[in-house]
Amino acid sequence: MADRGERAATGRALAMLAPAYLWLLFAVFLPLAAMAWFSLLSDLPLRGREWHLTLANYRAFLDSPAYPALLWKSLRIAAVVTLLCLVAGFPCALVLARVIRGRSREALLLLVILPFWSNALVRVFSWTILLRPGGVLDAALSAVLPGEVRLGLAFTETAVVIGLVHSYVPYVILTAYLALQAIDQSLIEAARALGAGRLRILRRILLPLALPGLIAGAVLVFVPVAGSFMEPRLLGGRMGTTFGTVIEDQFVAVFNWPLGAALSFILLAVVLGILAAASPALRRSLG
Amino acid sequence: MSAAPLALSGRLWLGLMLVFLYAPILVMAAMSLNASPFYQLPFEASTRWYAKLWTNREILAAAWRSVWIALAVAAIATLIGSMAAIALWRHAVPGRRLLQALLFPPIAVPWLITGTAMLVFFFGIGLDRGSPAVILGHVALALPYVIVVVTARLQGFDPTLEEAARSLGARPLTVTLRITLPFLAPGIVAAALFAFAVSFDQFVVSYFLARPGDTTLPVLIYTAIRKGFTPEINAISTIVILVSMVLMLLVARLARFGGER
Amino acid sequence: MSGVSVSGLVKAWGPVRALDGLTLDFPEGSFFGLLGPSGSGKTTLLRAIAGFVTPDAGTVRIGGQSVDGVPVERREIGMVFQSYALFPHMTVAGNLSFGLEVRRVPARERARRIDEALALVRLEGFGGRRPAELSGGQRQRVAMARAIVTRPRVLLLDEPLSALDRGLRTEMQIELRRIQREVGITAIFVTHDQEEALTLSDRIGILREGRLVREGPPRAVWDDPGDAFTARFLGAANLFTGTPEPGGLRLASGALLAGPPGRTTGCLAVRPEAMALSPVEPGAPNALPGRIAALVFAGATVTALVEAAGQQARVTGAPSAFEGLAEGQPVWLAWPPGRAAWVAPDRPGVATGK
Ligand SMILES: Nc1ncnc2c1ncn2[C@@H]1O[C@H](COP(=O)(O)OP(=O)(O)OP(=O)(O)O)[C@@H](O)[C@H]1O
Ligand SMILES: [Mg+2]
Repeated sequence: MADRGERAATGRALAMLAPAYLWLLFAVFLPLAAMAWFSLLSDLPLRGREWHLTLANYRAFLDSPAYPALLWKSLRIAAVVTLLCLVAGFPCALVLARVIRGRSREALLLLVILPFWSNALVRVFSWTILLRPGGVLDAALSAVLPGEVRLGLAFTETAVVIGLVHSYVPYVILTAYLALQAIDQSLIEAARALGAGRLRILRRILLPLALPGLIAGAVLVFVPVAGSFMEPRLLGGRMGTTFGTVIEDQFVAVFNWPLGAALSFILLAVVLGILAAASPALRRSLG
Repeated sequence: MSAAPLALSGRLWLGLMLVFLYAPILVMAAMSLNASPFYQLPFEASTRWYAKLWTNREILAAAWRSVWIALAVAAIATLIGSMAAIALWRHAVPGRRLLQALLFPPIAVPWLITGTAMLVFFFGIGLDRGSPAVILGHVALALPYVIVVVTARLQGFDPTLEEAARSLGARPLTVTLRITLPFLAPGIVAAALFAFAVSFDQFVVSYFLARPGDTTLPVLIYTAIRKGFTPEINAISTIVILVSMVLMLLVARLARFGGER
Repeated sequence: MSGVSVSGLVKAWGPVRALDGLTLDFPEGSFFGLLGPSGSGKTTLLRAIAGFVTPDAGTVRIGGQSVDGVPVERREIGMVFQSYALFPHMTVAGNLSFGLEVRRVPARERARRIDEALALVRLEGFGGRRPAELSGGQRQRVAMARAIVTRPRVLLLDEPLSALDRGLRTEMQIELRRIQREVGITAIFVTHDQEEALTLSDRIGILREGRLVREGPPRAVWDDPGDAFTARFLGAANLFTGTPEPGGLRLASGALLAGPPGRTTGCLAVRPEAMALSPVEPGAPNALPGRIAALVFAGATVTALVEAAGQQARVTGAPSAFEGLAEGQPVWLAWPPGRAAWVAPDRPGVATGK
């Protein structure tokens, strides 16, 4: 049916959408496409340099034992951080959603989320002050405990994990909170009327119903952590080489952009695979 | 199992988590007020590092650059993001679900990848590293947040208000300016603050797109830390985190006002 | 002020024909009530007149001139919405002022007209309030005042009273009618409440599946519904089908029901309140033997469901009329022939009363 009014309205709508989506096209989607192209080049297409299409960059990943090992390390750290975030965050969400009521609940939730929305770099930096040898944490422990305490956490993988958990645990708390808070109170009451104890309610009702939220939180932690490079650099020192830092190096130190692009794409593929696997749960909890 | 011990241990755990989240930041803030450059105790209060900030040309320049970039990003992202949110909400645009789904990649793809991809692409089209490239990148990262925040506010908007205004003789532009925008104002302000914060706090993308030498504040802090740092970094970091926390507090307040009606 | 007329209006959404060739006149200055089952196209018709819906075919005329292609804001209409749609960020005066401002009415004139409109709806002194600070009835009045302060040519109201509770609703019905009379504006009014439509309207129209099935003054439509659908829709009339004969309607059971003189068709409609029950055979025409299947008490009235002539008939009356009757009891059903009406059997069509 030809409907001039409606077609004009759609035209107006498209005009209003165009700037935002053209911007995203230009600043996100075309760059990702360009990166795919670069990952297939033998060298930077600069004046005076020879280049041709090749799969060598991807082969370099497979041929060297170091890259897969580092990718594995990044994924392992991401898994550990995700798990710790879930274990540490879920009880907080549970308390916020089902124990604390009224205005203090909102205030506490905001307090938990606030660091997450604030400057990530500075927060990681603050851990270096705490963890450095002879730093504040050592000094505090030495004051309480007998003898000189040296935790020796600085520049270890543990420090990296601590910093990353600190950065990302609010995400899990938020998503788990949203899922838990949406659970109808009458379900709990029904379970109690049926004689279920608190632990059983937690295990049989709250946990399963909050699962989509937990999975969403887990994905939202895992993906960026797998691609982190700033946290490992600052907190891990020499122990902090990860897949992310290797990619960073290709772009800012070694200037092997094609290899960097290929490594980025391998990381992106892994991450997308994980996102795709979790997407039903994501859709349920975010949609 | 009775309720009290379980609930109590839960509250305790939440308390510990808050300590975990805030202790490092507070320690950093405290140390920025410590006279000793090497975090030596006993603590001796001093504002010398803050005073020194004012004489550090490099830091001041980076701070200024961060602020105006964030302002530009907030202005652009809020304008085009709000327009997109209104269009998506008002019209049954074909492919609306796809358009909404396209907002996720900028958030979900690790910034390392987005940042390096932007570097590669901008290089390819001859756009050098520098503030324009940074703004281009930051706006893309902020857009999804702006659209989500404005859309949330729109959910509470009764579309018959627009129809009522038109039945009273107002042209579509007048309707938008006098009815829709005033209602959206808190959401739009929240979105603008959010976009400002996204840009002001953004490190990864700036790191790849800023020109070495005249960078943004987070990039400067990062390189300073890696070079072996100076105590002024404590002070500027404390200021940065205070600014970003205050911004997000404002966003939270405004966004909640959004839920009222 | 002007009349409105629509002719041959068609609007389809996919397979749904919300308006299916609708032609209807809304005379100048009249209060016109639109009735019809849910989904019959009432809202669509109103929105097509307003200009929010562009019809696929047909023409809308306001004051004799076609407004096809004229955008909403230039049709000079006033609308009252079910949710009132008062601008929450403006005061009452601001709401009223809006339409005048976009028409560039000078400030002094604006203030005068706002005061006038507020006085008309009896809300003097409320100009400074916000909509959130008003009661439901007051919001309704503000919505009315806002719709007429611009002196529109037509007033369109889509279930304007349905958000109010019963008592307030009756009060506002009277107000609505008073205001419309004082202003003398053509008003088109959609309602789900047939009593409301019958009380308020100068004329009513009944829609079904996007078409007009009956239109006319309320009394005329009520007494002579024209077809079975309207008879059932308005006042839930009992319908008897059979073979028309010169004297009346011959039922399958052989009984002859006397109808009013004039046009005879295959259906006779009798309103529940026109029927009476008696335990013994009344010496009158139109008496049918039956049995009481149920007695339903509703306060001021009682309704009996009576099995008679192979169907179920509804009989409504004051509780006293049912004293001494019990469920399951055999009774006689009777009504004066003058209170029955011939109606066309089920088939959507158009009939116009005088
Ligand atoms: N925007 C639309 N898109 C698709 N179908 C629509 C739209 N508006 C109305 N319809 C359909 O058109 C038909 C008529 O709808 P309309 O709202 O006019 O009915 P109505 O008589 O006002 O009903 P009610 O008494 O329930 O308000 C319905 O079947 C409805 O589903
Ligand atoms: Mg309707």
